[in-house]
Amino acid sequence: MRPEKPMNVTVGAGLLLLVTLFSAQAFGQDKANADTNNPQPPPPTDSSNTGTTISPAQLLNVPVSGLTPGAVEARPKLNPPPADEKAAQRGMDDFASFNCVGCHMGNGGGGMGPALSNRAFIYGSSPENIFLSIYQGRPNGMPAWGTVLPEDTIWDLVAYIKNLSDAPVSQWGTTTSSTSPAIEQVPSEIKAVPNPWQYTQKFADGQKPQE
Amino acid sequence: MSGTRRLTGLAGSILIIAPLAFASPAWPQDSTQTAAPEANTASSPQNTTQKESSDIAALVKDDNQWPMAAKDYANTRFSHLDEINKDNVSQLQMAWSFSLGATRGQEAAPLAVNGTVYVVAPYAGPHPNQVFALDIANGDLKWSYAPKPDPAAQGVACCDVVTRGLAYDKGKIFLNTLDGFSVAIDANTGKELWHTKLGDINKGETITMAPVVVKGKVLVGNAGGEMGVRGWLAAVDEETGKIVWRAYSTGPDDEVLIGKDYKGPYDWLNGKDLGVKTWPPDKWKIGGGTVWGWISYDPDLNLIYYGTSNPGAWNHEQRPGDNLFGSTIFARNPDTGMAKWAYQPDPHDLWDYDEINEAVVVDLTIDNQLRKVLIHPGRDGFMYVIDRTTGKVISADAYDYVNSIKSVDLNTGRPVLNDALTPSLGKTVRNVCPAAPGAKDWQPSAWSPKTKLLYVPHQHLCMNFKTSNVGYIEGTPYVGADVDMYAGPGGYRGEFMAWDPVQRKKVWSIKEKFPVWSGALVTAGDVAFYGTMDRWFKAVDANSGEELWKFRAGSGFIGQPVTFSGSDGTQYVAIISGVGGWSGAVAAAEIDPRVRNGALGFTGAMQDLPASTVGGATLNVFALPKNQKKAASAQ
Repeated sequence: MRPEKPMNVTVGAGLLLLVTLFSAQAFGQDKANADTNNPQPPPPTDSSNTGTTISPAQLLNVPVSGLTPGAVEARPKLNPPPADEKAAQRGMDDFASFNCVGCHMGNGGGGMGPALSNRAFIYGSSPENIFLSIYQGRPNGMPAWGTVLPEDTIWDLVAYIKNLSDAPVSQWGTTTSSTSPAIEQVPSEIKAVPNPWQYTQKFADGQKPQE
Repeated sequence: MSGTRRLTGLAGSILIIAPLAFASPAWPQDSTQTAAPEANTASSPQNTTQKESSDIAALVKDDNQWPMAAKDYANTRFSHLDEINKDNVSQLQMAWSFSLGATRGQEAAPLAVNGTVYVVAPYAGPHPNQVFALDIANGDLKWSYAPKPDPAAQGVACCDVVTRGLAYDKGKIFLNTLDGFSVAIDANTGKELWHTKLGDINKGETITMAPVVVKGKVLVGNAGGEMGVRGWLAAVDEETGKIVWRAYSTGPDDEVLIGKDYKGPYDWLNGKDLGVKTWPPDKWKIGGGTVWGWISYDPDLNLIYYGTSNPGAWNHEQRPGDNLFGSTIFARNPDTGMAKWAYQPDPHDLWDYDEINEAVVVDLTIDNQLRKVLIHPGRDGFMYVIDRTTGKVISADAYDYVNSIKSVDLNTGRPVLNDALTPSLGKTVRNVCPAAPGAKDWQPSAWSPKTKLLYVPHQHLCMNFKTSNVGYIEGTPYVGADVDMYAGPGGYRGEFMAWDPVQRKKVWSIKEKFPVWSGALVTAGDVAFYGTMDRWFKAVDANSGEELWKFRAGSGFIGQPVTFSGSDGTQYVAIISGVGGWSGAVAAAEIDPRVRNGALGFTGAMQDLPASTVGGATLNVFALPKNQKKAASAQ
């Protein structure tokens, strides 16, 4: 963890976020040291997950790589907080409010940031992976949101992104041709919903979408 | 939309959070970067032994060279070379090619100076923004230079990670990196001479334009009109890398560099601090007006001309007022940066109509008077002919299907809008033409003094548009619109046309399936060149538009065709293939063609492009076969 410049705190409303920020730093430093001393994944500190959060210690043990040297199973068994039925809707609102939509675009079609609509995730597709990608940021342009967003908000975003990525699957790979893909989403300016893959129509080949 | 109220509330709170959250990002950067504002200067190259001129002011008049992206200060992209002409261009064949190793959008112009061709790659691959110097006659690689831009820059580059090219003067190549550095490189050796940090990606600033050197100053502007960036154009001393002046597009007069020499062409463009007063309080600080397109220069009037980007956010209801000087054409003194005039074609832009498009410097006889004009094919779909001494509009005519603007009032210089289409929060406005990239985006046109026609590559798109409130968070997008584009009337999406600016009409046009996102080139051989996104490089008769030759390349074209001579006396034509850019990103980046709103809505119009091409990165260099060349020279 590289040192940060002292912060100039002037706004009381930011106190909660400030706490988040400092806890994030502590999380990074402490666990980095602990792991140097103990390469084995520590046992979960809270096996009876309350359903509201996963501890930073647990998250640190979520691998981003699919390679496991020595054939040792590295992925800890975690139970992300169960998404309530409103979580994806809240996530959709936050996706707009925190300008996620500006990069990943409406319904996660991709732009400045990669598409979230196609089941392909560079840094892992598990809920914990997606949580960490938002929390930590990623080097090719994903900002580190852990200093800004409460963890509950990030989990809501994870619930929404899970919906965004829920594209219909007809085969293992992707065929592109003059007749494929066969469908497109109903675009977000016509139907704004937290589960956009539930609404599809005939692929329009660059022409006006159906109404 | 049910989320609107909550969204608005949160947007308000962001303004409180932002200073806290982003006051502290400053982990010390790489030491070479933190040292950069004062520039690291190494020894200057020695060019005194060169026989050829290395001075840009002379090179722009030598048709054996292509020394700047736009060929010359007037931005004509016209060459007097005619070894390749309309009678023999059908024999054109590839002389050599070179891979740039970075398969994202290739918008850059190759430069050719004294027997060497210089090219630059977009941000991609293991060596992003790498520069290559190659021998024109045989394609030998002489040197390459790899800067080390911050990969995070990719996350704040709105519309693919492109660069539009390099600049040259006095033995130096000038490079802009995506993450906001300006670099000088010894053109003979590839050694770095200085580098200067001009922009900050944590504010959302990138650099994508090709720099232009005027009187020893490298002119560079920022990009990021979709990120709440405050636009500027900077002049950097070509010898030291030090910033000489910086002219902001918004804000008080002393920062916009408006002083006693300024005179607006219309009453509404005169007044104190218009860059502040035409905005809600403080919104000018995040108001866009970035400078990422073309700069032309008239040495006689000693004025440079360039346009600024859209004001931000795209949701116009968040910025009541004219939003000066976004979507504006500036005339400035290159020595001081001081503005002479400014004209805003699109006051209070509603549709992302940047006016960064080229302003071609031409003298035209209009109504029996020789006029010093600029021809500016506006993003808003109107062809502006402007008096370049005053900024007054002489004529403005629609050159594509336009329903967002009815006409331009020549008494006031203001557009007459179609009020029925004005967006209001949360409502979907359908069938707005032209779409957000306009009837023409960055892709530069060419002017032939022989035919007196402007050759214009452009698109033909309409869109659905729905605004939402957006909160400003530094370094993240500041847009506030869901956009969905599609083919305009007739179902085609692009056109290459010849326009007569005196008769004010289209002379001929070629419809293309996809937007024509490449630049244009025209020569004294009466051949015009352009490329298509479905991989054709085409030569057409400059008088009739008749197709004379075409070449199928490895990837689609969004680059700039150029022509020059090698030390062997042969005329070459060159263009980089490799689809991408805002329009083509769906075929080169991780973007889903099934979700129309991707790529700021451009996915909707380009969703079938991946069935024609994927990304590429090849410099294609063409010439006549040796026997044809002899026949041409014997004529």
